[in-house]
Amino acid sequence: MRARLRSLARRLLGVRRVPAYYLPWLTRPGLECVVLINNVESRFTSGRDAAGLQATVTQHDADGRVVAVQTTTLADSADAREVRLVPTAAGHGFVTVEAPRIRSDLYVALVDGMAYTATHGRQEFIEHYPAWTRAALALAGGLLALAGRTIPAFARDQYVYDGPGSRSHLLLMNLSNVVNCIRVATTRAGRPAGARLLRLPPLGAALVDVGGPARTGGPLAVDRVRLTGNAWFNLYLVGAGRRGLDGALSLMHVK
Amino acid sequence: MSATFHEAGYVHLVELVHQKDPGARRRLASLRLDAYDGAGRRHVAAELDPTREILDLEALLGEASRAHGRLLVVFDARYDPRVFPYRPHHYAYLQRRDATAPPLYYAVNATLGGVPDRVGAVALNNFESYLFLDRPVAERYALALGNLSRFATAEAQVVRYYEGERLTEEVRLAPKTHVEVALEPERAGRRLRRVELKALFRLAAYAVGRRASGGELALFDHLFTYFK
Repeated sequence: MRARLRSLARRLLGVRRVPAYYLPWLTRPGLECVVLINNVESRFTSGRDAAGLQATVTQHDADGRVVAVQTTTLADSADAREVRLVPTAAGHGFVTVEAPRIRSDLYVALVDGMAYTATHGRQEFIEHYPAWTRAALALAGGLLALAGRTIPAFARDQYVYDGPGSRSHLLLMNLSNVVNCIRVATTRAGRPAGARLLRLPPLGAALVDVGGPARTGGPLAVDRVRLTGNAWFNLYLVGAGRRGLDGALSLMHVK
Repeated sequence: MSATFHEAGYVHLVELVHQKDPGARRRLASLRLDAYDGAGRRHVAAELDPTREILDLEALLGEASRAHGRLLVVFDARYDPRVFPYRPHHYAYLQRRDATAPPLYYAVNATLGGVPDRVGAVALNNFESYLFLDRPVAERYALALGNLSRFATAEAQVVRYYEGERLTEEVRLAPKTHVEVALEPERAGRRLRRVELKALFRLAAYAVGRRASGGELALFDHLFTYFK
């Protein structure tokens, strides 16, 4: 029932969902970000027809602007090509990968010279709103923002971790062409531990420290975070060690 | 069922329901945990409170893992399909206590226990794959494999690809046994680019990367699964 209502609302608002494969990216001084393009899946599903397959990687910065477009070609289904992402001042965002027949299993890795961590991207969609809907959302969102609220069109729940040797951050990605006001509310041990409203530009991203108050000692705390946004968004969990975002980082998808 | 591996000395927290709703109304109906050493001997068996949100594996298994080494941890969760229209996922947080590496967060393997349908198959039909970056890093790689089946011995192939060179290793796992298969990062100047796991049915499997100095986990990731 809820799915049908959502579908109806999208039609009324004129929203188009354009299929897209996306991955997050993150760079820091001394931390490189690499997307690993491959079509190994074709060996198992659609036959070995990956010869000469071209993939285009479009890199969006945190403000949504395209900072780089890189193209690579796979020689065959066993080939894998590394695309090094361009560091920027913000140092985070997401990339989309356009390649015929590739729907899954692309990796993104954070390399600190000593080791690397990796995760994969998602075949989902990017929401496109017509001009009148964008204007209506901006007006309604602006009014709600005065009270620290947003239109709760989409919601996600996530645990985050905070301890003496680590702290989770979230990389939020606005997968739409409208400004996405995302409310982030944290609870610790069942009690509110802060809420804030983030304003992500179209196709923009934000790297946020969402946990409760930082702890200097004691056991690891697990906080709950509830995220609500006025348009489609997704997130990745960023793991930071003792040096915080200045040190080695890990990156992980969520469901 | 779901499965992971636990080693002593790691903070290892498992989210029983990933994407828990704020009211915590969505909960499992029951949850059983069993833990086995490498030879398949069970050391821990527990019915757990399914309303818990986070399970601290080190608190539960620390003593057993210090005595018996790495443990295969099997979760048997039951749930109401009206509450969960899809199988609820367990996710987990993992970091060594004296860590120099950042914490890892991973999706716990969904796998098969009992007597899987595919046991009757006569050809390899379960393929898993993982790719590695083409650069030298101070990291040792391995595949952590476990057989959750009740009766069937798993005969698996681990195939390593070194830029054109293909090496196959046969792995035989009795029920509930597990092993870490080392993957040389380089052979004769050729880098390890890909590993494939082939088996008659799905195993618990993780790509593992350890820092060369100290062995701390720096990579703990699921493989990509394909069926033929």
